[in-house]
Amino acid sequence: MKIIVCIKQVPAKDAPLAISGNWIKESDIGFEMNEPDSFALEEALRLKEKHGGEVIALSMGPERVKQTMKEALAKGADRGIHIADDNFFQLDPLGAAKALSAAVKSENPDLILTGLQSDDQGFGQTGVLMAAELDRPHATIIMAIEITEGKMKLKRELEAGWFQHIECPLPAVLSIQSGINKVRYATLKGIMAAKKKEIASVTRESLGITSEPTQRVEKIYVPTKTKKTEFLTGTPKEMAAKLVEKLKFEARVI
Amino acid sequence: MTVQREQLEADVLIVGAGPAGLACALHLANLIKAHNASGAKPELSAENIYVLEKGRELGAHQLSGAIMNPKALAELVPDFEKSAPLDTPVTDSAALFFTQNNSFRLPITPPPFVNTGNYVVSLSKLVKWLGEKVEAAGVNIFKEFGGAQLIYERDGIGGVITEDKGIDKNGRPKDNFQPGYELKAKVTVLAEGTRGSLTKELVEKKKLDNLNPQSYGIGIKELWDVQPGKIQPGYVAHTLGWPVPSSMYGGGWIYGLSNNRVSIGLVIALEYADPRFDPHATFQKWKTNPFVRNLLEGGKLVRYGAKSLPYGGWYAMPRSYFDGGMIVGDSGSFLDSQKLKGIHLAMKSGMLAAETTFDALKSGDTSAKMLSAYRTKIERSYIKKELWKVRNFHQGFSHGQFRGFINTAFQQITGGRGLIDPMPAHAGHEAYKRLNGQPAAPRFAGDGKLTFDRLTDVYHSGTRHEEDQPCHLHVADLNVCATKCVEEYGNPCQYFCPAAVYEMVKDVAGQKLKINFANCVHCKTCDIADPYQIINWVVPEGGGGPNYEGM
Amino acid sequence: MKILVVTEHRQGKWNNASFETIAAAQQIAGATSGTVSAVVLGKGIGAFADELAGKSVAEVLAVENELLADYTPDGYCVALKQVIESAKPDLVLFPHTYQVRDFAPKLAAMLGKGMIGDCVGYRNEGGKLVFVRQMFQGKTVADVSFLGAGPWFASFQAGAFRADLVQAHPSGKAPVNAVSVQLTAAQIRTKPLDLFKEAKSAVDLTQAPLIVAIGRGIKAPENIPQAEAVAKAMGAEIAASRPICDEGWLPMERQIGSSGQTVAPKLYLALGISGAIQHVVGMKGARTIVAINKDQNAPIFEIADYGVVGDIFEIMPALTEALQKAKS
Repeated sequence: MKIIVCIKQVPAKDAPLAISGNWIKESDIGFEMNEPDSFALEEALRLKEKHGGEVIALSMGPERVKQTMKEALAKGADRGIHIADDNFFQLDPLGAAKALSAAVKSENPDLILTGLQSDDQGFGQTGVLMAAELDRPHATIIMAIEITEGKMKLKRELEAGWFQHIECPLPAVLSIQSGINKVRYATLKGIMAAKKKEIASVTRESLGITSEPTQRVEKIYVPTKTKKTEFLTGTPKEMAAKLVEKLKFEARVI
Repeated sequence: MTVQREQLEADVLIVGAGPAGLACALHLANLIKAHNASGAKPELSAENIYVLEKGRELGAHQLSGAIMNPKALAELVPDFEKSAPLDTPVTDSAALFFTQNNSFRLPITPPPFVNTGNYVVSLSKLVKWLGEKVEAAGVNIFKEFGGAQLIYERDGIGGVITEDKGIDKNGRPKDNFQPGYELKAKVTVLAEGTRGSLTKELVEKKKLDNLNPQSYGIGIKELWDVQPGKIQPGYVAHTLGWPVPSSMYGGGWIYGLSNNRVSIGLVIALEYADPRFDPHATFQKWKTNPFVRNLLEGGKLVRYGAKSLPYGGWYAMPRSYFDGGMIVGDSGSFLDSQKLKGIHLAMKSGMLAAETTFDALKSGDTSAKMLSAYRTKIERSYIKKELWKVRNFHQGFSHGQFRGFINTAFQQITGGRGLIDPMPAHAGHEAYKRLNGQPAAPRFAGDGKLTFDRLTDVYHSGTRHEEDQPCHLHVADLNVCATKCVEEYGNPCQYFCPAAVYEMVKDVAGQKLKINFANCVHCKTCDIADPYQIINWVVPEGGGGPNYEGM
Repeated sequence: MKILVVTEHRQGKWNNASFETIAAAQQIAGATSGTVSAVVLGKGIGAFADELAGKSVAEVLAVENELLADYTPDGYCVALKQVIESAKPDLVLFPHTYQVRDFAPKLAAMLGKGMIGDCVGYRNEGGKLVFVRQMFQGKTVADVSFLGAGPWFASFQAGAFRADLVQAHPSGKAPVNAVSVQLTAAQIRTKPLDLFKEAKSAVDLTQAPLIVAIGRGIKAPENIPQAEAVAKAMGAEIAASRPICDEGWLPMERQIGSSGQTVAPKLYLALGISGAIQHVVGMKGARTIVAINKDQNAPIFEIADYGVVGDIFEIMPALTEALQKAKS
């Protein structure tokens, strides 16, 4: 099977954020693999171990994203496709999905896996939009994949502890739920082998997509809490009663 | 649990990708390149050099002020001025004397604190840049892998075993269990930094100790973004006096970086009588001096970190060569504690180890005898010249600052000899005086804007560890903590750990030690300063630890 | 501005977030002199459509089709595309549910449009609508605006609007218009199988609208039932700061903070929690924060909407009683 995993490089989770306009200052912060995508990668590697084939890491962004792609290669992905774009963070979800889809169309993969959403922008639309672009069936929030004779039985998570099984044909696009597997560590041999694995680079322009952006991030900011703490007074019984009243009628949360 | 380990073999294994380890790797790779180009035999390969780095990224665990003397970098990378991320050259070197409410700039800055010609740098950024060069040269750097155990061979070592990954907190293998590798090498260079865990074990086992046991200090650092105009890039100040008691050794620093960023911190020798002394709280107090308070007014804390540093100098230097290996950098005591400079000495030691390794690889002889050339090179280099002059510096302060300054004065005019040579030193943890029933003072809380409690600070160190793994801080006898130590010393670990790892909590039987290992910033202070020496820091699962990006 | 709200139901029950979206739509319509329509899809949806008609909407579109009996992304996309092409709304609003995540972006793409998902609010800036959504895991928010002509597609995060603020129809019922769509079985490529509930080994606090969290102030595991009683009386999930989970007094899945879960519930009640930054980063996005702590200087009060300085062991039982009284 040929499996493509969409992997995004995002600012490190603990990086101090310095906002600049509609993005953040990228100097002096570390980057890492988007954690939800690491579960998708792990799932892809397990499917390859079970059914044979190859796993291709797909990423878009500036040169630095190749570092994260190498991590994917070190864990067992066979090769990488890099879409070079220094202004990747400005793309709207549809533009990003169109570019990713265009880059892999000729590969004709059996499966495209994505993580649920990215830890930076968190649009959560990439997988679904790629399915639309490539006219493939899709499913999201997938917890388990079983493949028999060119068909898949999927376990999908719903809200409130409910799940659903779904039958889905191949080829397809799946968004993988986080935490469904224990992500493997890169091995020393894997790290060394990664140096020799191919990362094919294309520029986004060369993909020839002509689409207008559908939305624009005007600015990002830290929400200012105009919060003033209201301290309740009285005996414990009085305070408890007052609190319940406030929660019920003022804040209206219960 | 008996584990099957995969075996790998390298020509050279370097444990630690700090300035010493990377300088060693790069210099060796360059030597190999020239060697191969000349057609000489045997042909060697830089790809057979493996560097292990326990951090998630290169530079993640690098912490220093830092002021760098560029001389070693200039040898290693001749065009460093064009390509290295040197933040700013030093423009002004000041020595400040602090009292609680005042600060005085000394009219003449004492020579050790004059830093003209040096650079204010972020060691983390420098190491990252250096690492790129090392990888470009073909060397294999393995991030998120630490050296967990030594492989003993002959009368020295033959490699290391990396840590097991994917073990849960009860010691059982998880789904993604990956046993550590048995990494053998013809030459192993230990470049673990201050109080290296493998180095500590080796020095003890093979009795590589020198005249004096190693002495250490702790450095606690904060990186701040300040209001424009508060500080000039390249302004470098070292502070003496308040709040470090005169019976102790220590002082602060203020380094102006570009873009209104400032590095501040306090170093304190881990050699004091009061077991409840709190270095972190003292650093926070230091910030309330009007000079610092004014500097930080309207500013924002960016990052926090802490690390120990080896103060012992020349007479505490362990034997740095043995069958199959050498010790470089802070692990080998290559730090000038008077000038607070170790980066160039670390790099130079790495380069000399590289040259020694190169000769060993060519000849096929990696015995202690062959590798003793490393020691000879050190003695002939500026490492010895510099360290020899300050060989008794730190020891001169063992009876307080007043005596320390007198000793220093004598050492200055006698090329380091001073009044007694060698001045004996004792291990810092032996300096504690037993408590005589005094109650503990309330812990420092911080105001949340200028001063912070340890939990808030440690949050800004970016430290994280895989939660479900065994605790990497091995306490040999927890009963000692709960009983003897409570009475005798009041559990100093709660005070000297800058990351709030150790806590005494109420238990059915009284008190017990709680270890929040996930907060650990890998400073090694506990391993150094625990009065009974029952804390042993071992390397946790690779990738865990602080994130000193930009520090 | 003509707004179409896409509602959601499963196994005969509404996903209540649908009404939050109707409330949102009514607000936006009010601010832009617009109208609100609601669409419901499925099989045997008469009762649903009727209920929607009781709200203050211009019309209810009922898309009854055998092939829409169970949700499938293909089914909903093909059907809704036709509904939108004929109804021609300017703005299509959804509740941000797992189901909406599964099909709404594709629906928008099929019409060549984009979707701004998981919004926590919106602003009307002189006629221009700006949607607000979180980025960087709640550390920041972003103002996002649509470019180009509509229809625009947006979804609102659960709890961003209040379902109880939906205005009822002023004079009776809105018209319910049946819409027939062209849909063939061949167009539906995925086949939904069994729906089942699992005894979830992991608890997902991120989905809990109400959370009662305990910290060191609880002192001993024997005291936790008192906090659980408060949670039960409120219908809340129990959670904890790190030290509690470290001790094993509550499972790791209940931990809130930088090394646990990050939550943004409607209500977060912090009992005996000091408010160390490691904990606060995991919950400061909560809409209403109540803190009860005996230390008036505890940093938790800095982010609390309501604060009670007192002994949690006196307050917890009083609170449980007051909550039970309010329920009855």
